[in-house]
Formats: sequence, structure tokens, C-alpha cells
Amino acid sequence: MRPILLSGHERALTQVKFSKEGDLIFSVSKDHIVCAWYSANGERFGAYKGHQGALWTVDVDPTTTLLATGGADNTMRLWEVRTGKLLKTWDYATSVKRVEFSEDGRQLLAVTEKRTGQLSTVYIYDISPDPSEPAPSEHALRIVVDEQPRVTVAGFSYLNHFIIMGHEDGSVSQWDAKSGEHIKDNYSHEDGMQVSDLQWSADRTYFLTASKDKTAKLHDTATLEVLKTYTADTPLNSAAICPDPQQYVILGGGQAAMDVTTTSQRQGKFEARFYHKVFEEEIGRVRGHFGPLNSVAVDPTGKCYCSGGEDGYVRVHHFDPPYFDFQFEVEREARAESRI
Amino acid sequence: LDVAKKSSANKAVVEARRRLLQEWLAYRQRVQEDLEEEREALGLTAVSEERAALEVADDGETRVVE
Repeated sequence: MRPILLSGHERALTQVKFSKEGDLIFSVSKDHIVCAWYSANGERFGAYKGHQGALWTVDVDPTTTLLATGGADNTMRLWEVRTGKLLKTWDYATSVKRVEFSEDGRQLLAVTEKRTGQLSTVYIYDISPDPSEPAPSEHALRIVVDEQPRVTVAGFSYLNHFIIMGHEDGSVSQWDAKSGEHIKDNYSHEDGMQVSDLQWSADRTYFLTASKDKTAKLHDTATLEVLKTYTADTPLNSAAICPDPQQYVILGGGQAAMDVTTTSQRQGKFEARFYHKVFEEEIGRVRGHFGPLNSVAVDPTGKCYCSGGEDGYVRVHHFDPPYFDFQFEVEREARAESRI
Repeated sequence: LDVAKKSSANKAVVEARRRLLQEWLAYRQRVQEDLEEEREALGLTAVSEERAALEVADDGETRVVE
């Protein structure tokens, strides 16, 4: 796979995200800067400057018009992608750990960090897809999470029915996105091993969680049932689902050198790992980073994937033909019967 | 004897994969049908805005892999 190295960030990457058409990559880092890149050639499209602290999270709306970012300066910001104009700043009492648009782009959520005197809170705003219309200062809904452990990640389900959250103790929870009512939990990951990432399938009817317990798990959105488990040999920071018809998931993680006791253990941990989504088997690994992979993302069109590392680099890998051709015998059979 | 053992083990693996794939495809078909029905009942387009963005981009363009 042909790698493109995006060097422009000066510190560890925290999240990478593709536009829905797959042509742009947005990256955020501890260096306070939001970057946008062309996924085809790695050239920089632009930078969005204004945040006063480390950035933790980024997301883009379905039409690649609006960009949302959040970070340690206790703000969520809304930008116009094309012009780089800052449209709105929301201030909170603690840092913003996660932002995400709903599938229709008409709602935006922010997860604020739990700290002494502050509970984990999810704020939801109604957003107009038209950047000339002012974004609301007031939230449409606020979920204060007091009975569950700290919220690490959250997102909107299909049809905006639910808010799904991942927690510090390894559990996932489901909430009514209209009323804010808590519906159910599933303690899917090992107790005390935080959910570090949550990414959706294209139709948001299932999602993938990554955890420090060295596994990634595919969950059904409506039931929260665990459908598949992918077991790695290192704590995971991120996991992404390849779009159909590709049947892969990509896992990223690794331990920082200071957390590892022997050097031999470090070997081979800073790799993106590919697993077969249905068979749960590891297919291959892609190396390149010099530190843990903090975030992985897949192009929604399936042409490439990218990873953001603790080493300050974003690596984009365009898939080679064998990647598309590779199939298990039973998949070829099913295709012959035209089931997939 | 070893060859026979190996081939029956391989057969078991293939059988297990076949079952997993069939279960998965059945699950996906059920969920997709439910979602389509629900979107239709709500008077929405067949696919969400974010999936529509993708399909427009792919229109008239075959997947080119370099």
C-alpha cells in the first residue's frame, strides 16, 4: 500500500476524520491546529486557527460545509470548511472530549469532561446546514451523566433515535436522543478498561468500539448486543469499519514507551491491524508509525484509510488491487450466489 | 492419517466461516429492511444525507485503484 505522509502537525495527533465524499482528511492534534488535507495526494487544503489549547476531537457534516472541533481550551468551535471562517464558539466549564454531527448534519453534540465539581455532560445543538444562518448558543438537549462512569465518546445513531456513549469503565450506554432518558447499558469491555473510540457503520445501525482492554467490539445499535470481537495484543485507541463491500475493520493502538517495561514488548505494536469483520480473524498489519496510533479512519468510498500517530504524523494508505480482490473461499461462493 | 485429519480440520474451518457469513448476511438483510421501512414511514429518502453524499460522488465513476 502506497503511503503518503502528512507532516504539518508538531505534536501528537488526537483524531483524524474523512469528509463524507472521501476527498478531504481533517486532523486535530495537541498543537492547537486543525488541518485539512487532500486525501488523494496529501497536499494541505487549509488550517483552522483559533483554539487556545490541545485539540481532542473533530467532525465534519455530510455536505463538507461545516467543521466542528473541540479541545482543552473548554470550547467547541464551528467552522466553515471552504473559507476557514470561525462561525461559532461554545464555552464550557471543562474540556471538550468529543464532537459529532448526526447523519443528517442537523444536530451536533459535544461531550465535556468530568472533573472535580463537573459531571460528564453531553450537549446537543440544532444546526442549520446553511453556514450563513447563525448557530444557536442554547443547546436543544443536555444530558448530565451522573449515575454512569465518565463519558469518553458519544455519537448519534441512525435516524437520531439514540445517543450512544462509551464510558471509562468499558461500558456502552444508550439514551433517547429526544428526551435524554437513559435506556440501557452493556458492559461489553473489561471492567475499568475505557472505551477509547466509537465509530459507525455507513448506515449507523451498528458500531465499533475500541478499548484499552485490547479488543474492539462490533455492537448492534438498537440492542447494544456485541456482534463481533476482535482481539489484539496491545491497548487500542481507535477502530474503524471499512465500507461495504469490503468486510474489514482496522484497529490502531500501542503503548507509549514510558508505559512499556521491556523493549521487546514494543516490537510491532505501532501498526494498523486489519481484521475480517465477519470472521474476526486478523488479515494483516501495516507499519510505519514510530508511536502509538491514536486515531484511525477509513475513506467512506473505500479507496484509502489514514492513521494519526502519537509521533505527530498522519499516514494515508491507498489500497492496492489485491486488497479488493482478496476473499475467503466462502465469500467467493456467496458472491457467486450473488448474495453480496 | 495426518492428511485426513488436516483436511477434516480445514473443512471444519470452512464450514464455520460459511455459517458465520450466512448469519451475518441474514442479520444485515433484516436490519437494512427494517431501516428502509422506517425511513419510508417517516417520509424520508431511502438513504441518509451522509450516505447520499457518498453516492453522488461515486456517480458515473468506476472505482479506480492506483
